[in-house]
Order: sequence, then C-alpha cells, then structure tokens
Amino acid sequence: MQDRVILHDDIGAMEADFSGMSFTTGAEVDAFYDEADRRMEATGKRWYFLVIYTDCVIAPDVWDRFAARGKSTNIKYGLGTVRVGTSAGTRETIRQSAQREMFRANIYESRDSAILALGELRKRHETLGGTVGAEVVDGEGIVRVDDIHLNFGGVKAIAGVGFEVNRGEISSIIGPNGAGKSSMLNVISGFYRPSRGRIYFEGRDRTHLAAHDVARLGFARTFQNIALFKGMSTLDNIMTGRSLKIKGNFLTDALYWGFAQKEETAQRQHVEKIIDFLEIQAIRKTPVGKLPYGLQKRVELARALAMEPKVLLLDEPMAGMNVEEKEDMVRFILDVNDQWGTTIILIEHDMGVVMDISHYVVVMDHGGKIAEGTPGEVKADPVVIRAYLGAH
Amino acid sequence: MNWQFFLEVLVGGLLAGVMYSLVALGFVLIYKASGVFNFAQGAMVFLAALTFVSLLERGVNFWLAIAIALAVMVVLGIAIERLVLRPLVNQPQITLFMATIGLSFVLEGLSQLVWGSQPHGLEIGIPDVPMQWLADTLGINVSQFDVFAAVVAGILVAALAVFFQTTRIGRALRAVADDHQAALAVGIPLRQIWAIVWTVAGFVALVAGIMWGARNGVQYALTFIALKALPVLILGGFESVAGAIVGGLIVGASEKLAEVYLGPYVGGGLESWFPYVLALAFLLVRPEGLFGEKRIERV
Amino acid sequence: MLYREAGQFKTTYAGDQQVFPIRQDRIGVAVVLVVAFVVVPLIGNQYWLSAILTPFLIFALATLGLNILTGYAGQLSLGTAAFMAVGAFMAFNFELRAPWMPILVSFALAGLCAAAVGVAFGLPSLRIKGFYLAVATLACQFFVLWALQRIGWFTNHSASGVITAQKVVILGYAFDTPATKYMLTLGIVTVLAVLAKNMLRSETGRKFMAVRDMDLAAEVIGIRMMQTKLLAFAISSFYCGVAGALYAFTYLGTVEPEAFTLDLSFRILFMVIVGGVGSILGSFLGAAFITLLPIFLNTMAHPIEELLGVTLPAGLMSNLELIVFGALIIFFLIVEPHGLARLWQIGKEKLRLWPFPH
Repeated sequence: MQDRVILHDDIGAMEADFSGMSFTTGAEVDAFYDEADRRMEATGKRWYFLVIYTDCVIAPDVWDRFAARGKSTNIKYGLGTVRVGTSAGTRETIRQSAQREMFRANIYESRDSAILALGELRKRHETLGGTVGAEVVDGEGIVRVDDIHLNFGGVKAIAGVGFEVNRGEISSIIGPNGAGKSSMLNVISGFYRPSRGRIYFEGRDRTHLAAHDVARLGFARTFQNIALFKGMSTLDNIMTGRSLKIKGNFLTDALYWGFAQKEETAQRQHVEKIIDFLEIQAIRKTPVGKLPYGLQKRVELARALAMEPKVLLLDEPMAGMNVEEKEDMVRFILDVNDQWGTTIILIEHDMGVVMDISHYVVVMDHGGKIAEGTPGEVKADPVVIRAYLGAH
Repeated sequence: MNWQFFLEVLVGGLLAGVMYSLVALGFVLIYKASGVFNFAQGAMVFLAALTFVSLLERGVNFWLAIAIALAVMVVLGIAIERLVLRPLVNQPQITLFMATIGLSFVLEGLSQLVWGSQPHGLEIGIPDVPMQWLADTLGINVSQFDVFAAVVAGILVAALAVFFQTTRIGRALRAVADDHQAALAVGIPLRQIWAIVWTVAGFVALVAGIMWGARNGVQYALTFIALKALPVLILGGFESVAGAIVGGLIVGASEKLAEVYLGPYVGGGLESWFPYVLALAFLLVRPEGLFGEKRIERV
Repeated sequence: MLYREAGQFKTTYAGDQQVFPIRQDRIGVAVVLVVAFVVVPLIGNQYWLSAILTPFLIFALATLGLNILTGYAGQLSLGTAAFMAVGAFMAFNFELRAPWMPILVSFALAGLCAAAVGVAFGLPSLRIKGFYLAVATLACQFFVLWALQRIGWFTNHSASGVITAQKVVILGYAFDTPATKYMLTLGIVTVLAVLAKNMLRSETGRKFMAVRDMDLAAEVIGIRMMQTKLLAFAISSFYCGVAGALYAFTYLGTVEPEAFTLDLSFRILFMVIVGGVGSILGSFLGAAFITLLPIFLNTMAHPIEELLGVTLPAGLMSNLELIVFGALIIFFLIVEPHGLARLWQIGKEKLRLWPFPH
C-alpha cells in the first residue's frame, strides 16, 4: 500500500492511487484506508485529496463500505477532494453516488486537470482565510436545499430539487425559461415558503424564516426586474442596504447632530467604497428612476453589496445588457467573489458567462433538477444538451 | 327575546341594505370597467336626484324629468371621461382615487350652485307605511316603500346581469375590466366603452338618488350615503355586482341590529362607525371581499 | 447669476449632507425665519395673526404629519382629523385633571395619546394597502368622533359637548394675545419641523421611503415591515395630535367634536396633494395655499359684485369654494402631481441658470 498513498507536500494533497486496483472484500477496503489514515494522522494536519479511479474495480457489495470509509477519512483529515476518472462508466458511477450522498463529484478526465482544479480550490480557500476547516468538507456547504417543492395554487413551480453550494464559490442555476430558477432563488432568499423541503444555512435549518430574518443571516439579492426604490437617489438606495448595520432609532435621528450624524457619515464612508468599486460615482445623487437600465442594475448590485452579505443571490444580473456592460458586470462579480470571498448564486442565460465564471452549475427544467456539476461536466452532459443547450 | 321585533329589525335592516346596494352598484360598475374607484359616486347620486326633483318642482312631467336627468348624467359621464380620466390614464390607482375626491367636491358645489341648497321632499307615490297584510299575518311592520325599493333594486340588478352576460357591449365591458391592453388589441373602443359605463353608472345613480330622495329627502346629506357604500364594497368585493347586493344586505342588517341591540349599552349612534369596523375586521381576514378576486403579488 | 453654486465645494460628508448646502438657500431661510419670528409679531395686525397666520401654522403641522404617513411612508390615511381631535381633547383633559403639569408637557402627552390611537388603527396596514387602508382609516375617523361625542369623560360631561380650552401659561407668562399665541405656535411648529426634517433625511426617512416605493424589496434588505409602518403611524399621529392641541388652545379657544369631521381630513389631504407629496416645504406651501384660498375668494366677491352690478347669493361663495377646491385637486393631480414643492424646485432650477436660458 505504500506506493498507493502519496503525500505531496508541495500542493498539500494526498494522492490516493486506486488505478488498476480491484476491491472485492471489505478487508481490502479497510487495509487501504487504514494505511491512508495512519499516514495522515502521523503528519498531524489536514490534506486535500486527489483520488485516481482509472481502471479501478469495486465489487458492488463493498461499495457502501468503500464510500463510508471515504467519508469518515474526509471528515477526519480532508480539506476538499478532486477525482480522476478516465472512463465514462466510472465517471457516471461516481456522479450518481455524489448526487445521492450530496457531495461534490469534482471529476476530471486527467490527473493534470485535476491538479489544476485542486490549485484553484486552494486559492479560493486561502482568500477566505481562517474559515477553512470542517466546513469545507464535502457534503457540508454553506447553503443546502433539500427536496424543495413549491406550489402556486395548482401550479407546481418546483418539484423536488436539492443541491448544495460551497462557501466562497460561484454557483449558477441555469435552465430554459419557466424552469423554476427564479422561484428557486425566491425560496432561497426567504421570499416564498416551500410547500415541502428544507433549507440549511451553515448547517442549520432556516426553512421557516421570514425574508427580513433571512437578510439578517447574511443573504442579499438582486431582482430580475430591478427592485430599486424609484423615489430615492442612488446614494440613498445604497444607504438603505446598510439598514441592518446602521445604529440608532428615530429619536436619535430626530436629534440628528451628534450620534446620528456620526453614524450617517460612517455609513456613508462604507457606501462610498462600494460606489468606487462599482464605478458609479457620477450618478450618486441622481434619482434612480432616471438612470439607464444597465446602471440601475449596477446600483441594485451596490445595494446588495452594502449589506455585506455572506451569500449573494443574483437573478439575471446581465439581462438586457450590451457586451460592454456585461463585461463590466462579470468583472464586478468576479471581484466580489475574489476580494471578499462572497458566495454567489447566479441565475443567468448567457452560457458563455456561466461556463466561464462558475465553479458549479445546477441545471433545472420544468421545476426539476436534471443535472449538476462543474461547467465541464454539465456542458458534456447529454441530458442537458437535449433539454437546453442545443448548439452551444 | 322578542322574535317578532327581531324579525322586524332584521327585515328593516335588509331592506335598508338594499338601498345601500343601489349606490354600491354604481361603484362596482365603474370599477369593473375602468379600475377607478369613483369616490364621486355619492355626489353623482346627489346631482341626479337634485336635478330630477328640481325639474319636478318646476312642473316637468315625471318621465320627461327622468329622461332629462339621465341626459344630464350622460353628458356628465362623457365630460368626466374627457377631462379627468383621460389625462390621468396611466397614473396609479391612488392618484385616480384622489382625483375622484376632488371631483366629488366639484359636483357637490355645482349641484347646489345650479339648483340651490334647500332640501327638497320627493314623492313618488309609494307611502312609507307598513304593509298591511304582513302586519296582520306575521305581526311585523315592514315599510311598503322599503319593499318597493328592494323590488326596484332587484330588477335593476337582474337587468344589469343580463346586460353584462348576453349583449355584445356587456361582453366588451367585461373584457375591458379584465385587461385594458388586451381589449384594445382586440379592437374594443376603450373610450366609447368608458363613456357607456359612466352613463350606465349615472343611470344607476339616478335610480338610487330617486329612491334615497323619496325616503330621506333630497339634501346635501345624501352625499354621505356614498361613504356607507364603502363598507358594502369591502364586504362584497369591488368587482362584483352580486357582492354589492350581498354586502349591502349584510351592512344594512348588521347596522340596524347593532344599533338596536348594542346601542343602548354605549349610548347609541353606532351606525356611524359600525359598518366600517365590520368592514375593517373583514379586510384583515379576507382582503378581497366575499366575491372579489384574490391578488397574488409576484416579484 | 444670483443663484450660483460655483465655488461652494463640500469637502466632508457632513458638509454634503447639510439640509441647505447652497449658501443662497441658507441666507433665504435665515431671512424667512427672521421675518417670521421678529418682523411679523411686531407689525402684524390682530386679524392676520389670529385668523390667518396661526391657523396656517397649525394646518402646516397637521399637513406635515399626514405627509410623513402618506407622502414618505406611502400609507394613505383619511383619519387625520380624528388624530387632531384626540390631541385637542386629551390636552384639554390633561390640563383639567392635572393642572400642575406644564402645558407643553400636556401637549406632548396629548400627542402621545394620538400616537397610540394611530398605532392601533394603523395595525391593519400590515395586511392591507392603498385605498383599502384608506377605508380602514375612515373607520378610525368615524369611531373616534363617535367616542368623543358619546363618552362624556372627554368633554368633562359638558351638556353641549363643547369644551373651552384653558389659558396657556408657561413659567408664569400668559400667552393670550394674538401675537403671543402666534409666537408659541410658531415656536412649536418650527421645532417639530426641524425634528421631522432630521428624521426624514436619516435612516428613519429612508426606511419609510423604501416601504413606500417597494415594500417587498425593503423586506429583503432587512427592513422590518411592521415596525416601520407602525412607527410612521405613530410619528404622524403625534404631529397631528399636537396640531389638534394647538388648534384648540391657540386658535379656536372652544372646540367640539364636530370641528374634526371627515371634511377636515380631506382638507388636509388636499394640502398634502397641492403642496407636494413627500416634501416638508410642500406641507407649508400647501397649507398656505388652501388656507388663503377661501379668503382670496371672499375678497374677490365684492369687486365681482360691483363689476357685474349684482348681489351674489349667500351660499354662492361656499359652493364656489367647493368647486374651486375640487378643480384644483384635479388640476394638480394632472399637471403637477408633486405639487407646489416641485414647481418651487423647477423655479429654483431656472433661477440657477438665470439669466441664461439653458
């Protein structure tokens, strides 16, 4: 077993090389995992996992044991896993298992691309700094929805959808029109109460929270049809985003000079940082009703960012924009994700954008989930192509 | 518990309620067709009644007076559509509502400017005396006049219902009530429809005005009847003719019963606010009314 | 040329957040305040002070209250007169039953009572909107009026239902002349207007406007619907309550419940519409306009009578007033829904460019 478990110090990854092996008894499974556990225990730290499944054969009756040992090793010593499976059959098996058990398949076709992905995973975790650890283990993402059903009268908008979003990642929900994507976002943001199913945030059940409590937890969102406060200026709109952070009450406001003024100035400073970030200085005082569509969308994003959210939900942020505006918006979204480590859940129709910037994609159609995975996996999935992508 | 008395109060209340329904009908018509809540309906009732009774007093023949009064209402309807509704066509409902408040002031002032402000009595030949055979057989007193008013209202509602369901114009009105844009797209002449609606509403106002005027006299206080119609509409739903009737019955009956049975405990005068509080309670439970359409807010 | 901002740069956020950032505006406001506080009481005649300026200030305060609720927070209310009535009668009762209490405290407490009533009848706003809410406020209007008429405690069991407001004495100084009553009213109204402006330009105001513009989006940002709407009702009713107390103590002298009818509620709503929804300046402009209009019409009556050689019938003026009011409302709603305040703003914009056309 020695040469099957390789610890790569340089990339902080443990490579489990199952290639060409065959497991037919529980004892064989245990032997491998015991060795891996022992080696990692000795180092006293956690490792990323690089697992090679090429030509690996696992007898059906030891599959459960294999998976259970894998999960426990993950929990004890893991930081995140990438897998290599060169054959379509292997990839399919692993994907199905991942769906069932609610963990990320993260499957790649070659060792090189897997190592590249591992590098990205590390970089993302480093940006978050200090939050890496038990939360980042497969199967415990920052937001998890479980078997969500949503009915409007007789119309079934969502029928049994579940997936997980990892902290610090950009996840996209795509699908044809009417698939239930916006409804899903509305459920996640606490707007609609699901008829059945649960929503978990950082491991805790938050299904029955009202919209403003959901905001308090750290969720912010933008809307498909722009929900700005048309009677106020850009600056005031973004300042409303600070509502949860601003201190004071109507009495301190009435006696403005002193406490309230200091608060206003402090919050204004924070908002100005966001205004600088999104490059909307020139339209600060303009009533938002007068702004062109693209700028309104940017102001809405600013307002959401002002809430300092942990999770940002964007409903078609690039709809109706021309090429330049889209590029700007993509840049902003990537910057938000990079600089502040904000988890982003995105609904978008522009396939190029989705495939370029997402770490994870969920595909919905007719209220159900038809596929999920990394952009590469989803692009190649025949079910998705049939339902939606067509010639892309 | 004196059942006869209770029955008397109840029936009296129901019949009074029918009178409220008459006024509420005008509201419903206009709301159904143009989505405008016409606060000036009371003032229109007043104007119609005042015109009618003033003509009568000047010796004009009964039916001719009705025709002239109706003509006045038609002209008024067209004028309102052109001067008030058209300029405000895309404004939010609230703005239109406030415009009709302004309109009600204008109509009240105008009515009295033209015809003077003294109260007028109105006789239409039906005395306000108890119906003899009911008093004899059941021992309860029910006014002949109230029954007549109920019958008139019933005929009016039936006629309106038939009109809406069967005629081409009625169908067009229903289409407009549902969706202005779609109606336009199918070639329904919106402006003509609105003019027709306001005319029909004017006719209903005239009938209501005559009935109320005969009962209470034609005077400025008539305009406040419209305010009573509001709880009726909330209970019945703003868009429903049936709702106006049912709502009116409920308001009329509950108002009278409350006044008679609860009134003595609190010093009387309950009818000034009881229907409103009832409507308020209803709003909290079922905001769209008994027969109204539920609205779902989507984002 | 006169109204230029050139050279007036702001280098701090506090500077940028001033109420009157432009120096010319500050000068203008200072002039108005000096005139109001110093010049008017010195040169004003009795009639103007007691019959025009004082009621104008009182109505401006009530309009401000309604504007907070309807203009800023978007909750339509037709019960303004009821809140004023609560203020008037409770102030009377506090003065009557606790004469040792300073009268300003009585006014404040009366305002709080009005606020409580406002919150109670504002509860439906959590479930209903638009003119359904207006109907709910009508319930408030009718109920309060009925309660004041029937429950003898409010009028100290006066046989006629009329109460006489007590004299206003603060720290031994009696406010009983038109000039002193005017000054007291002016002082109270100015302070409350400043407090209102402060509230409305800070987070409180933003929360109100958010609820008005799109309450669903406001919820998603974390703004609590219930607290915000009820606060709007409370503050608005407080202002109307104090206005009602002033109405009784510094203007009418004797009040009865019938002084606070639905008609008055409409009148104040008209002041909001004409003056400008969602504007403090608008509240004052609207109140001035509507207060002065009947006087203007009346003074026009004589020249017209002479011109046409007829004597106009007695009721004509009051009917004409109704027509003009109604027509004005419709006119403003069509032409300038944001009222006189917007016209004022447009005027200032033109003034900035003057003498150049653009």
